[in-house]
Amino acid sequence: MMFNLLNKELRLAAHPNLFIFTLLGVLVIVPAYPYGMVFLFGCLGPYITFMYGRETNDIYYTSLLPVKKRDTVKAKCLLMVLAQMTQLLISLPFAILRLRVLPAGNPAGIEANLAYYGFGFIIYAIFNFIFLTEFFKTAHKVGKAFLLAIIPAAIGVLIMEVIVHFPGFKWLDSVEPAMILKQLPILVIGIAIYILSMLSAYKISANRFQKVDL
Amino acid sequence: MNVLSVKGLTKRYPDFLLQDISFELPQGKIMGLIGKNGAGKSTTLKSILNLVNPDAGTVEMFGKNFFENEEDCKQNIGVVLGGIDFYNHKKLADITAVTKRFYHNWDDDAYQKYMKTFSLVPEKRVKELSTGMKVKYMLALALSHNARLLILDEPTSGLDPVSRDDLLGLFRQLVESKGISILFSTHIITDLEKCADYITYIKDGQLLCSDEKSKFIKSFQHLKEPGDKSDLSLEEIMIRTERSRYDV
Repeated sequence: MMFNLLNKELRLAAHPNLFIFTLLGVLVIVPAYPYGMVFLFGCLGPYITFMYGRETNDIYYTSLLPVKKRDTVKAKCLLMVLAQMTQLLISLPFAILRLRVLPAGNPAGIEANLAYYGFGFIIYAIFNFIFLTEFFKTAHKVGKAFLLAIIPAAIGVLIMEVIVHFPGFKWLDSVEPAMILKQLPILVIGIAIYILSMLSAYKISANRFQKVDL
Repeated sequence: MNVLSVKGLTKRYPDFLLQDISFELPQGKIMGLIGKNGAGKSTTLKSILNLVNPDAGTVEMFGKNFFENEEDCKQNIGVVLGGIDFYNHKKLADITAVTKRFYHNWDDDAYQKYMKTFSLVPEKRVKELSTGMKVKYMLALALSHNARLLILDEPTSGLDPVSRDDLLGLFRQLVESKGISILFSTHIITDLEKCADYITYIKDGQLLCSDEKSKFIKSFQHLKEPGDKSDLSLEEIMIRTERSRYDV
């Protein structure tokens, strides 16, 4: 059933922009670029898809299918996870490639290293939690949900990009093996926060959507 | 056997109350749900389908509690919400490919047959269809998964008289040849005269009457005025029940 719902999300509900923004994981190969933008694109993609879903009455359609009301929420959560994880996967080979082609690092902000991915998971976690739980209060006020979620997410990106310019946090900007090892806990914590955030966002959103009158 | 049994359905909105709606729809019959605009027809249908959360009441579908067996019941029903378009920019073929996976009883041959019968082209996009064709496409989807009950919210609104007659004829045929049951809301009284077996009348969120058509008409004959020779028609019943006087 979940596969069918995800199939519906990808073939009917998703706006083409979601696929384009997902591909923007490749931006980590651009020299001197704030790579935090990749995560912001990963937030923008779902937002546009949710807005498109409202215009195409996607939630109505899904609610009429032989599925539980909370499965509608689950499908949206899974779509977000799928898009964001695909985006990170797409970026990975380019993050490795840049070690060879751009060995001088990234003067604009954080390097695409383990800490970067760890922060990425945390930024996604913040955005997804606020966006989903706020959106499913009404299942139509997508603009408000986006605004409330993107502000803290953007602040997160800003902190990540700025912090590496302070001498005490230089290790966050490194791709040296020893420093990478030091960054590993950030990635692990980031993944844990992301998983926790998605699970609780689904639970809260599904409970809220249950009370929504379509 | 009743395919649908609604008891005491109540939904409170800050400025509207749908109160204690009860009716039963036997198998192989068509029920028209009537009332003027804003009377609560759509709210009733949406409450039955759990699209809005009723504050009280029970819905039994095919002998099962709908709210407890939602997925199961939905396998056997088809729903058309008139005036709501889905995925305007998508091709019918894409919508079908996604939708059919959800139904255990999907019959591809039947689907092809209905598409042909209704002159629907799979390569067309939803936005390219006329209002009547959109309803027919939704019906084709419903019939292809062998829906035993169709719940249709104003399926005839926005249709020209010819398309309306065509659709109502189709409803009759479906009931007679397949034993399907249909519950549809409308504010167009001629629809009922043409094809309803039962009528449920809602006024200002309250159930006025739900009965077999001839009994329904009889029960409103007290509205006759001196000078009325023949029985009141459905249209006269509704107009006289709803008539308001303005102090202007």
